[in-house]
Amino acid sequence: MIHLVRDVLDSQLLARRGLKMGKVDGIVLELREGAAPRVAAIETGLVPLARRLGPGLARRVERLIVDRGLPVNPDLRIPWAQVRREGIEIRVGIDAETSPAYVCERWLRDRVIGRIPGA
Amino acid sequence: MLLCQSSELGRSDEFLVPLTLVGLVTLLVLASEIGGVSLALQLATGIAFPWWAPAVALAVWLLLWKGTFGVIEYGVSLLGLVTIAFVVAAVRLRPEITELGRGLLPSLPQHEPAHYWYIAVSILGASITPYLFYYFYSSGAVEDGWNEGHLRLNRVVATLGTSFGGGLAAAVLVVAALVLAPRGIAIESCEQVALILTTSLGRAGFWLFVASLGIACFGAALEVTLAVAYMVAQGLGWNWGENVKPRHAARFCATYTVVVALAMLIVITGVDPLKLTLLAMALTAATLPVAVVPFLFLMNDPFYVREHCNGWIGNGVVLAIILLASVLAVVSIPLEIMGGS
Repeated sequence: MIHLVRDVLDSQLLARRGLKMGKVDGIVLELREGAAPRVAAIETGLVPLARRLGPGLARRVERLIVDRGLPVNPDLRIPWAQVRREGIEIRVGIDAETSPAYVCERWLRDRVIGRIPGA
Repeated sequence: MLLCQSSELGRSDEFLVPLTLVGLVTLLVLASEIGGVSLALQLATGIAFPWWAPAVALAVWLLLWKGTFGVIEYGVSLLGLVTIAFVVAAVRLRPEITELGRGLLPSLPQHEPAHYWYIAVSILGASITPYLFYYFYSSGAVEDGWNEGHLRLNRVVATLGTSFGGGLAAAVLVVAALVLAPRGIAIESCEQVALILTTSLGRAGFWLFVASLGIACFGAALEVTLAVAYMVAQGLGWNWGENVKPRHAARFCATYTVVVALAMLIVITGVDPLKLTLLAMALTAATLPVAVVPFLFLMNDPFYVREHCNGWIGNGVVLAIILLASVLAVVSIPLEIMGGS
């Protein structure tokens, strides 16, 4: 048995090779006619995080990221089938490097941090 | 297909409040530490402290950028032993044992009660700074790869270390009481503080004070900066670590870079580091409930700590201290600010 809010929401996401890929910022349930709801996916990104503080904030954050083209991951959905729970962490079979969840990390590394001597 | 998101399931955004509050207060703490090093350099050279802030910030940043965790941990602790000078001074001043004993008992202030409690709260805040939780978990437990076998050693080190620190702090108080009080000196500026070691240690006392101030603050600045970066990176789930190459933890490194720069800007404004330190520590005490109570939950959760949950004595003491500290802080900070120091 797994408690979604306690054991999944806000847990550390580990991608392939153990790269840290953010936190589980949201959980998506599929509501089915005449059947119990089913977990469809987990979400990570600034928009699902903001949505928890208020839907209005989430819309504004999303517009800001999209309009300005900010190097930030707005929202990445990972199907529940790819999710494994390992101890207190959540492992997903995704390559973080090429994933949208790493937009900010890549941008900072390539444009800023990686250009400083000794990086 | 109808989808329902977790915003409708429940809200667990508890982390955002401690993150913001502890983050802001810790930034002030960092500014006080950078200010402290700059002040030591001012005492040594005569050049005003704000001018030193960029160099100090750069030195902190460079050590974090190039250094590994071991270098920072052992280097700073070894150099920090210079603060033992205060114990030497306290012993050489030959305090009366009966007076010392009486000083150990808490007493009510005879004058300026608001200011007295403000300073008391600052000392409490300085003793239980929440950044240390993030720092020790990250640095020790993860970077040094501790396991359950380190638990006993850690208890010993924590007890001895805290007693050592407390002893040092007591020595500073004893020296201050024996040197300043009989002469009727109420500290107005840091230049005056620098003289408290000269009575018993002569000219060397001045330089020992400068070295103690500079090294202790520099070490704290490194720890505080790392603690903020650890807290942000772990809270948001980024790659982090002082022992990995900066390019493999870009957001972590960007965080400490920005944090050091912001703290430097605060020092450059020329705000008195002594006053800033007192304020930062008092605010630390005020934020203890939001900063420490979440840890109390973790420390009592068998899911995370299995059979090592806190006992009721531990929980009781922690709760009592943070309640006392935060209530005193909430009362004394406004009084101090309104009263003007």
